[in-house]
Amino acid sequence: MDGREEEIRRGAEEIIASFVKATEKIPALTETYYSLEAYNVVRPDGEPSPEEERATFRSRFISLMPKADEMGNLKVEVARWSKER
Amino acid sequence: MVQGTLEKLAKIRRGELSAIENVSSSLELIKKLDRKINSFIEINPNALMEAEAVDRKIKKGESVGKLAGLTIGIKSNINVAGLRTTCASRTLQDYISPYDAEVVKRIRAEDGIIIGMTNMDEFACGSSGESSAFGPTDNPAAPGHIPGGSSSGSAAAIAAGLCDICLGSDTGGSIRNPASHCGIVGLKPTYGLVPRQGLIDLGMSLDQIGPLSADVSGTVVMLETIAGRSDNECIMLNVDKLNCSEKIQDCDLKGLRVGVSKKFSELTDPRIMDVIDREIEKLHDLGAEIVAVDLPNLELGLSAYYLIVSVEFFSGTRKFDGRKYGKKIEDVCGEEVLRRILRGRYISQKEYRGKFYQRALQVRTLIKRELMAAFEKVDVIAGPTVPKLPHRIGTKLTPMEMYAYDYLTVPANLAGICAGVIKAGEINGIPVGLQLQGRVLGEAEVLRVMKALEATE
Repeated sequence: MDGREEEIRRGAEEIIASFVKATEKIPALTETYYSLEAYNVVRPDGEPSPEEERATFRSRFISLMPKADEMGNLKVEVARWSKER
Repeated sequence: MVQGTLEKLAKIRRGELSAIENVSSSLELIKKLDRKINSFIEINPNALMEAEAVDRKIKKGESVGKLAGLTIGIKSNINVAGLRTTCASRTLQDYISPYDAEVVKRIRAEDGIIIGMTNMDEFACGSSGESSAFGPTDNPAAPGHIPGGSSSGSAAAIAAGLCDICLGSDTGGSIRNPASHCGIVGLKPTYGLVPRQGLIDLGMSLDQIGPLSADVSGTVVMLETIAGRSDNECIMLNVDKLNCSEKIQDCDLKGLRVGVSKKFSELTDPRIMDVIDREIEKLHDLGAEIVAVDLPNLELGLSAYYLIVSVEFFSGTRKFDGRKYGKKIEDVCGEEVLRRILRGRYISQKEYRGKFYQRALQVRTLIKRELMAAFEKVDVIAGPTVPKLPHRIGTKLTPMEMYAYDYLTVPANLAGICAGVIKAGEINGIPVGLQLQGRVLGEAEVLRVMKALEATE
């Protein structure tokens, strides 16, 4: 790690430490990941997919895959850097 | 007197001002003034051609959209097909977007003319407008001072009259902070009201696209254009269309309850509080009832916000690895971007996730609960936008000093509520903005109060 990165890392840790100190007295609460509880379902009709569609999802997904291996797994492009290793 | 957005729109529709004249005037002003302000990174070479198409429609008597012929600046983290969406970073300096973000599609559908891509803090990581790889933006309302950030170019372009309306994005105050420093109108919509598809995110659970304009009507007309459910996005409110125009006409605020918190004065420069208190007095004169609300843990929002946003930013930037397009972000980014990536990486490590990240999400719950409790008693909460005056460009600040600009704006993002800013006054020629926070989908109430204040000027 070079000097610049080390200095920035130290600054980052200071902020985390100040957060821990500031929240010491806060009781444990449930976490809020998104600020809204109600999400729009992507389907235009606003309904969940029919049971049949959900059951056959994997086979339909595999049939649409650009490439698959002999196990039926999705095959993606191998990154150049991984070949070099 | 400066021409209002609705008056200009009416003139264009009546043929008294052509879209071409409006676009040409914007382009000339940009050429003349923007060398010093540095609010635009790129200009749309097709703007005049697009304006001509709008004029043709008007001449033929065809119906035109609600933004017909207005010039629109787009923050450089929102994709516009054919223009560079750089996020003001060397990472994406040569990235020409192949598609329009959903909000840009909606602007085009309403005949708005994209005039160009505005400057910003690199990857929206900043509150001053100084961290752009394309150089800092000046504040036209207080030259030599920062315009605020991260939507620095969007706010400065409006303050200088270079275009009619701009889009910005607001993750912890990035629309409201520069709107306050530049003395213009800005609105962060409720989280999930405006589609984020096509926005290069800073913090996916906090980001929201919103308008900046010279008057309240400009913000209203843009909000009505971009708001509403999109099938291309899964995390949205189930809202079809938004219609605020009719609801904001009443300037009598009788019956409206405006919340104020003593916490604001504890965190804010007393000179700013004097300006804000006078503006709240005006609300009282307009018939509103002023009610004290309790926000005891407001200041905890800031550190929780910076932990959450760092983790989300770290995750969101893993795609900038330099393989398919652009450059590897860590190799070319500025100091603040790297700081957030390193902090996000550190917090994301398994042994620290529960200790820091989940704890920050608990503080988020606390802030949200306190704001929701306040909204049981009031319709809007009024207070300052930024706790201190903008510094002079180039002044060295520590990260914590810089983050302190965001104390009063991050709670709205953590809670997902809406918040608008309107100029309240000046201190030694530097604008000060009043922030009005509203409930989830409380835009009409916030805008109504802003409109009533605007009418008193």
